Amino acid sequence: MSEAYPIIEHKYDVVVVGAGGAGLRATMGMAQAGLKTAAVTKVFPTRSHTVAAQGGISASLGNMGEDNWQWHMYDTVKGSDWLGDQDAIEYMCREAPQAVLELEQFGMPFSRTEEGKIYQRAFGGMTTQFGEGPAAQRTCAAADRTGHAMLHTLYSQSLKYDTDFYIEYFALDLIMDKDGACKGVLCLCLEDGTLHLFRSHMVVLATGGFGRAYFSCTSAHTCTGDGGGMVLRAGLPLQDMEFTQFHPTGIYGAGCLITEGVRGEGGYLVNGEGERFMERYAPSAKDLASRDVVSRSMTMEIREGRGVGSRGDHIYLHLDHLDSAMIDERLPGISESARIFAGVDVTKEPIPVIPTVHYNMGGIPTNYHGEVVDLKDGNPDAVVPGLMAVGEAACVSVHGANRLGSNSLIDLVVFGRAAALRAKDIIKSGEAHSPLAADACDAAVARLDKFRHAKGDTSTAQIRDDMQRVMQDDCAVFRTGESLQAGVKKIGEVEKTMADIKTTDRSLVWNSDLVETLELDNLIRQAVVSMTAAENRKESRGAHAREDFPDRDDENWMKHTLTYHSDGEGVRLDYRPVHTYTLTDEIDYIKPKARVY
Amino acid sequence: MSMRTPLKNVRSLGSAKNGTSHYWHQRVTAIAMIPLFVIAIAYVVSLVGADYDRVRYVLSLPFTSLVLLLLIGAVFYHMKLGLQVVIEDYIHTEGTKMVLLLLNTFFCTIVGLASALAVLKLAFGG
Amino acid sequence: MVELALPKKSKVGTGKTHPKPEGATNLKTFNVYRWSPDDGENPHIDTYYVNLDDCGPMILDGLIKIKNEIDPGLTFRRSCREGICGSCAMNINGTNTLACTKGMSEVDGDINIYPLPHQPVVKDLVPDLTNFYAQYASIKPWMQTQTPPPPDRERLQSKEDRAKLDGLYECILCACCSTSCPSYWWNSDRFLGPAILLQAYRWLADSRDEFTGERLDNLEDPFRLYRCHTIMNCANTCPKGLNPAKAIAEIKKMMVERQG
Repeated sequence: MSEAYPIIEHKYDVVVVGAGGAGLRATMGMAQAGLKTAAVTKVFPTRSHTVAAQGGISASLGNMGEDNWQWHMYDTVKGSDWLGDQDAIEYMCREAPQAVLELEQFGMPFSRTEEGKIYQRAFGGMTTQFGEGPAAQRTCAAADRTGHAMLHTLYSQSLKYDTDFYIEYFALDLIMDKDGACKGVLCLCLEDGTLHLFRSHMVVLATGGFGRAYFSCTSAHTCTGDGGGMVLRAGLPLQDMEFTQFHPTGIYGAGCLITEGVRGEGGYLVNGEGERFMERYAPSAKDLASRDVVSRSMTMEIREGRGVGSRGDHIYLHLDHLDSAMIDERLPGISESARIFAGVDVTKEPIPVIPTVHYNMGGIPTNYHGEVVDLKDGNPDAVVPGLMAVGEAACVSVHGANRLGSNSLIDLVVFGRAAALRAKDIIKSGEAHSPLAADACDAAVARLDKFRHAKGDTSTAQIRDDMQRVMQDDCAVFRTGESLQAGVKKIGEVEKTMADIKTTDRSLVWNSDLVETLELDNLIRQAVVSMTAAENRKESRGAHAREDFPDRDDENWMKHTLTYHSDGEGVRLDYRPVHTYTLTDEIDYIKPKARVY
Repeated sequence: MSMRTPLKNVRSLGSAKNGTSHYWHQRVTAIAMIPLFVIAIAYVVSLVGADYDRVRYVLSLPFTSLVLLLLIGAVFYHMKLGLQVVIEDYIHTEGTKMVLLLLNTFFCTIVGLASALAVLKLAFGG
Repeated sequence: MVELALPKKSKVGTGKTHPKPEGATNLKTFNVYRWSPDDGENPHIDTYYVNLDDCGPMILDGLIKIKNEIDPGLTFRRSCREGICGSCAMNINGTNTLACTKGMSEVDGDINIYPLPHQPVVKDLVPDLTNFYAQYASIKPWMQTQTPPPPDRERLQSKEDRAKLDGLYECILCACCSTSCPSYWWNSDRFLGPAILLQAYRWLADSRDEFTGERLDNLEDPFRLYRCHTIMNCANTCPKGLNPAKAIAEIKKMMVERQG
């Protein structure tokens, strides 16, 4: 090591890493439970990517027509292509209404119905009568800025509780003991470059997804899956990393999100021939089929020469037939985005859109309490002591192979809260911390020092660009064995260039060159396991569409992929069974069947 | 570097629980000055070229005196309020600020009262 | 007292001019404020040339291209790149705005970029917004009620009452407005500034909140509220098209109303 780094130690009952929707809800719950809680975040909480969620948060409130959580559960299971764990899905759908009411009580500015209740809109894959009835209006909305309204509400609530926020602190690595229990997390304070060791009885990772592994994504620049990277370095697995959701309507070129709520409010997609092609692919749900189905349909249209634009490489989203007063009231945000990023007046012209990477169904495997689990001595549900994960960083798994729109915001608050409830049960506040080995932080500090002084020939931006292009080309909406094998090779080569990385800024004050490099190190590991898992899964399920294996294969592949990664040995694969049981006997296990919309 | 928390600094001494009357009085005096100035200017224009006795006579009329007294009251009160804001905006040394605020009050009161006295003297002194 | 000259340390000098990319014809010049606490030097303006033929349309795209290809040390905040997170607020050609929603084509000639005015600078374009965030916390920006909420359903709110929050709840706390306000420049220690007052009004205007009086009490102060002199820079600069000045006027109206 080229110099010594002093470490400032903090002691807490719980440390939450990340302050998006899930992190803030967990933080709040921990504080309410009387646990001494620190929230560590690399951006100011209201800058987290939850802020960009638009359409809404699903819960079977039944404000706009009959609804119940069992129908919500059926839709979620079907949306997940039966890869979701049904005990967790039951928990989420059952708790959802209460979680939304709680947000309302915190002051979240939901749009309202004439009766003064929370307004709910239709969303993809949301139906009634176990898929037999008409579309459900289940997605609670605050215009088309639901994530923004929710994140600001949660942040303001957390100001009310006795929580210590450590803002603009970047988490470097988990500190694990020799028995595999998590003992804390080491962080870098961006403002002055000091290192801080947060000792805690529980570390909650709420670090979000790794959308930035792709070249074009709706994710923020900060969505670099830092929790996933830390978990892999700690020798723990990530689960179902082959399942990456492409949102059907990212703005062509810019990649910014246009909510599914546009289609929920009556918008539709047309191809270059002016045809509403979704009627062919999903005769009953049409434009409101689930996201994987719509994205594939759009890609097929473009591939078969029916795209729009001079290169025929995108699709039009029409809402110009809708009432402009309704657009002003319910879709003001996307009108603004379309104007700024596509130069389009949505009341007159269609928005050019293309399927864009949006969400990672995979992540850190957890049970429905948020506790991280690992396959250990044959037990697929062995809890890793001291470690939880919530939100997009986690794979509970409620979204299975494909997430339904508006199920992510509810995932954040339901499991953020669940983690807090669990922590309250298992942690005794103020308990002493066991001593750490003297060298506990050495590896993490050495990694920081290595990147800070990296003197190779390839810049961080160059490697990141290479990685993003490989992922974009070879791990796309449609996948083939050939492209995936080539992809595994190429991404492996990109990973090797990490040894030759060059950083320029040697400072410790707000060194964003260093932070981007550390983020890239987190991203590249997840890109590698994601590509490897995709190559490995020889079936089509949800968002993972293999052209060489076009059908779902429940016999061989009804299981979660586990991926481990180490610098020396690369990727190791294993499996966990899907939970084919529910939490209570109020609903039976929903048996797999063909998935048509 | 401050050892206090940011919230301690922001909350500081708490809300003064006033400010609205200042704001309101400034608006009221501003509105009042509009018609008063119009009338006063009309007087000035009509007296252009008039001799000393004529001016004295007009100013001593009850309506003129009333208008002038109201105008003087509004102007100097408004001036006191306005200058106070300017001082508070730009002077951040506590001592200097207090002194200037006191001087402002004294100055506006004295000049205002002196002006009013002059009008009263004209009205009653004959 | 009023300081009419800048302290010596803050005088901005001329910095490095980075070479033009070879073969590029469609260039845009970026003049960017640089300062690092590490070297003890005065701030300076570095000049970069960005090839527009190989770059996204927004100013943030240009900054990222500079960071990726020319100068990885250039430091600025960014996240969502679609104008909703509020990270990349900076002063561009004299106006505070978000770099991610401001097109390069909207600027004639050189693009001059400075950090948000009148805030301590941490490094380059990164301002220290600690005071701003503390002011936000000071207005208790959470729902305060005494009546317990109904146990099994939401608090009801009419569509009309909900519409009163439009133009308020959309604030992204980017601080563009507050740091464009001269009154906030002179008195940011005591004046809450347009962003925070807009947020304060968001809770005053919420039909569900029951602590309107207490909230007004907390604002009734010559400095906290009444330093607003309706200069209107806030409304002109807001990248989300909100009008904090109007929200402040509404608060003042409520203050007067409750007097009698």
